[in-house]
Amino acid sequence: MRFESLCVWAFAAFAFGVGGNSIDDELIIPDETESAGSGDQTCSIFGTSASSQENIEMEQLNTSSIEENVNARTSSEIENAGIVLFENNSIVRYPFDEELTLKPLPRNFMLASFAFQMQSNNLTVGKSEVSHDAYRHYTVFPKSLSPILEYSQTRELHLRFTHGRWDAESWGQLPHNGTKSGGSGVELWAVIEAASRDEAFENWIMLTNSLSGLFCSSINFINMEKTTYPVHSFQSSDQQPIPIFDTSKKAYLLRAALANEPICTENLTPFLKLLPTRGRSGISSLLDGHKVFDSNWHSLSMDVETVCDGDTCQYHMDANIEMVFNVQNSLARAENPIPKPLGDAELQCDESKPHNAWECFPLPQSKHIKFRLSELFGKKVVGSNLISENPSKVCAQVSDSWTVYLDIGDSLFSTDDNCFAIRDNELHDLHFQSDDTAHVVKSDDVPLFVSRSLTGYGQDGGGLRAVFRNPNNVTVDAIYFESLPWYMRLYLSSLEIESEDGLEIGDVIKSTFYLPAIDRQRPTHLEFNISIPAHTTVALSYQFSKALLKYAEYPPDANHGFEIESALITVLRPIRSEMRTATLLLSLSTPDFSMPYNVIILTSTVMGLAFGTLFNLMVKKLVTVEEADRKAAAKRSIKAQLIEYLARLKTNGNKTNQEKKRQ
Amino acid sequence: MSQLYLRRVVALWFGAVFALVGVPLWYKLTTIYRAPLPGTYISSLRENMHSDVHLVVPVYVRSDTYKFPDVHEAIQLQADALLQSKPRAVNWSLQILQAEKNQVLDPESDYVLTLTLDDFTGYSIAYDSKETIVFFDDTAVVSNDIPFFAAQTLIEHTFGTEWTHLSLDSSDQNDQGNRGLGKSSEMAISYAPKVHLSLSLLTGDGRPVAWNIESTLNQYFTPLRQFLSPLINFTVDTSILHFNDLNLGSLHDIQDPSWQDLAHSIDLSELSSLNHYREKNAINLAIVFPSPEAGQLGFVNATEDRPWQSFMVPQWGALVVNKEALPDNSRLTQDYLAPVIYSFACELFQFLGLSNEKADLSTPYITIDSFKRVTTLKNLEHGIETMWSLIKLTDQFPQMAVPKQVLSDVEQAISLRLKAVELLNDPKRGDEATWNEALHLSNSFVEVCERAFFHKEMVQQNFFPQEHKIAVYLPFLGPIFVIILTGLLKTLRENNDDDEDEVEEKQVKISDSPADETEQLDEKTHDSSLTKE
Repeated sequence: MRFESLCVWAFAAFAFGVGGNSIDDELIIPDETESAGSGDQTCSIFGTSASSQENIEMEQLNTSSIEENVNARTSSEIENAGIVLFENNSIVRYPFDEELTLKPLPRNFMLASFAFQMQSNNLTVGKSEVSHDAYRHYTVFPKSLSPILEYSQTRELHLRFTHGRWDAESWGQLPHNGTKSGGSGVELWAVIEAASRDEAFENWIMLTNSLSGLFCSSINFINMEKTTYPVHSFQSSDQQPIPIFDTSKKAYLLRAALANEPICTENLTPFLKLLPTRGRSGISSLLDGHKVFDSNWHSLSMDVETVCDGDTCQYHMDANIEMVFNVQNSLARAENPIPKPLGDAELQCDESKPHNAWECFPLPQSKHIKFRLSELFGKKVVGSNLISENPSKVCAQVSDSWTVYLDIGDSLFSTDDNCFAIRDNELHDLHFQSDDTAHVVKSDDVPLFVSRSLTGYGQDGGGLRAVFRNPNNVTVDAIYFESLPWYMRLYLSSLEIESEDGLEIGDVIKSTFYLPAIDRQRPTHLEFNISIPAHTTVALSYQFSKALLKYAEYPPDANHGFEIESALITVLRPIRSEMRTATLLLSLSTPDFSMPYNVIILTSTVMGLAFGTLFNLMVKKLVTVEEADRKAAAKRSIKAQLIEYLARLKTNGNKTNQEKKRQ
Repeated sequence: MSQLYLRRVVALWFGAVFALVGVPLWYKLTTIYRAPLPGTYISSLRENMHSDVHLVVPVYVRSDTYKFPDVHEAIQLQADALLQSKPRAVNWSLQILQAEKNQVLDPESDYVLTLTLDDFTGYSIAYDSKETIVFFDDTAVVSNDIPFFAAQTLIEHTFGTEWTHLSLDSSDQNDQGNRGLGKSSEMAISYAPKVHLSLSLLTGDGRPVAWNIESTLNQYFTPLRQFLSPLINFTVDTSILHFNDLNLGSLHDIQDPSWQDLAHSIDLSELSSLNHYREKNAINLAIVFPSPEAGQLGFVNATEDRPWQSFMVPQWGALVVNKEALPDNSRLTQDYLAPVIYSFACELFQFLGLSNEKADLSTPYITIDSFKRVTTLKNLEHGIETMWSLIKLTDQFPQMAVPKQVLSDVEQAISLRLKAVELLNDPKRGDEATWNEALHLSNSFVEVCERAFFHKEMVQQNFFPQEHKIAVYLPFLGPIFVIILTGLLKTLRENNDDDEDEVEEKQVKISDSPADETEQLDEKTHDSSLTKE
């Protein structure tokens, strides 16, 4: 009973206490007889008394920008003595969009690109979290990410998990012009608001540690010696200014990469958890770690931007998962999870060449193909996402020689643009059919081909060589960004250019930004503004020497070598695009790790010897040679004693014999 | 002779320098720094917990009708006697003061006892101030019962929280060694000045839902936050989660699941993990709707007005489980949310340890104030336990480094504790600001204690094994030690050998020619042969 009276009090405190400024004002508590006596006023009374205020409250209800498109609809309210528990006279929609694009590539490859877009609720800018009317609301934007961004004052966040090799020669330009994929491994850059660079770095470390926990990744290994502050690269393409919440602060751009960091299922699972559909409906229901990471190239990317309109700010997030896989291999894998050699009846041999049960030259792969999406991904699309204004969309970018059908419950549909909207909760599948798989939609031309390699041999030095090839008819302007670890001591003076067209360094490199490394504190940071004329190939090379590390700085597997992160090329003209070189593996001189102990032992032995000699000189007795000889003579040695004893035995024996004879 | 003496002295000196200078120096240079922590002081604090605390709460007496010049002394006597009747974990008492002339008493800040003449005897405690009114009639005056009434009202009702929390239960009396305060209920989270509240709306499917949470919270929850702000500050977030019914769908066909069924099926992992709160503690409220595929949850005891049932998960938060799935495109109205929030607020007091089912909050001012004092004392206890664990840890691991920072933290903590205790003990100070400050000090005390305990270097150094030191220095110290020892022993033992040598030398000098010796030998052999014969 008393507990209930407590509730009555508490209710009263809430119900009547609106709008007061001080504590005392709002604590209008029912008179004492009520609180002390009538304890049977239970919680259910509350509903009715609250409903009396409902009209006032409904006016206050401001439709926040998050729930767009409130359409009037016939209401089917559960009316019960004026209490409306659930309203459904308006369609609830959230700012979320998803789209899957499938694009066949030459030689039976296929690019699958999952794109998700979402927006957060309005942020409370400049309001303390503890203030009494500060509430944070999360709907589609992940709740796990938002506080991290707020605590670390991050205004923009870009995270990339990429692995594999993108074959630009055959597949063309990277998806989204390369702006949504990183170098092999993990790459992270962020715009952080801070009063000073040190504070920005502190926030950055907080951010990396939190993301590391969120994505089960080693992002926490990012430290001072991996972080750069890019000057020309990594600028956001849209011209919107970065919102600064506190005008006394500045925005800092920080960037770091973990080269060749393995990307695995445990990175994908938290990624899917960020989506409001959680991989349970919509196109994300196709995503499965086994399929994503079984591909030739895959990239998980996440971009969060703060977008402000006046005083209201929101986070906009783009999440992309992209992969390239070989259709034939994937189908074969789906059919036969454990690869087995084909039986001789199934072998397709080239009949123009000798063939029998032991000898077979296989035919080139067939140009005809027919497959379903569910065969590639192992499952069908489980309905649409229901929270978005736009239904989930699946698009196929195919040429004329392909036909694509949408399969809903065994009935097939097709559209002109091969884009299909997924509706409701049904299972959807996609049929692909082609009589010429080589005929695909032409990819955008690659503006520049870049490759980078290590040169030289030996333990003390080496070189880096980057080759740029411009296959187009126009000059390409680009920024070359490179961040090298401090143990590669770069000699910029050794920068050389090789060009068949007789280009000089000045013709290619328009400007240079160079920040030399500081041992264990800062990486080498190099940015070139380059301009490559049409149809030319240029190679830039420079030398470096390898530093010796302290023995504790070697990784557990020192003989594997050290991964050097990829270089970024941002093409500015003719089209804006990004590309990255492959990572490099640098081998440093690796010491024998038992050496320190050997050195200790050897040095100690030498010191012990020296000390022993000195000590003996001072402590032992000094005698002349004659004295020593005399002493040696005087001292009966064991040998002498033994001879003497034997002699004595002999004489005794003789004597006894003689006595015996006498007797 | 003198040469042997000199050599012995040299060897002894080497030995002495090695043993008396070298070894201590080596030991000194290779030992890790261990700051001298006040171990005895802390263990004595722990053994006699709260021995230096004597909580004194001033109470002002005023009388409306009659003037009782000595009533405060009488009440003081009665109150002291009443307090003595029950063993206490912490010493506490009331300081009954007479309101001075022209002194304006502020019942919102100080405790005020008002004696009012009425037709009956009784008491009333105000809900909006810290005033206690004792009603008395003329017969009470005649029989001189007023002081006892007043003392009883004050102790058992106004300071009821202290009376229950600071007293020792009869079962605890045997356990005199550990005179700690009683444990708070199992439901309550440990006290922290900042607590995070996470309100989530969960549905078992992916259909869109919305809720009028913003207006509901602003209307019903903001006043509560304001009211509790001297004690606890909340940070609140709300979220909508799809495809998560906490695994309640698996229970839909069970009509009457037991507590175990429910407790074993509910999966709170997704709500509890992947959250980045800065606060140490979080309390959750999850409003769960099953998916339509799973069907209605039969076990939920629901009515038409209230289609949900609330469950409490100890130290986690409240679950509001709905019987039916949500209709399409639903928006939860304030009519729905207000009772939920209200029920959650009631439960919140239990989660915070402010009340259990027995206690009542009809006198919020006084209860909150009492809670501040009890929390302060619990904080002091908690901090001392932490420091004692630190002392125990450093004692147990002799090779663990104790950095200077830890020492300074411990010193700071002790001074903070003394300040807090001083505030509590001061009989003249008893207004709201005092208790707030004491609570604040005790919060920082706990924080500093934990900072000292969780010092990064201290734990790290513990993993550096002592054997490494020996492995590194043995190749050097071993040979040198052996050389010095054998040298020393040799020179000391040389005494006898040398004497023998010198005796032999004398013998050699006496028997000059080797021929004599052989003669002697022959004689000896001859003798022996003779005797044998």
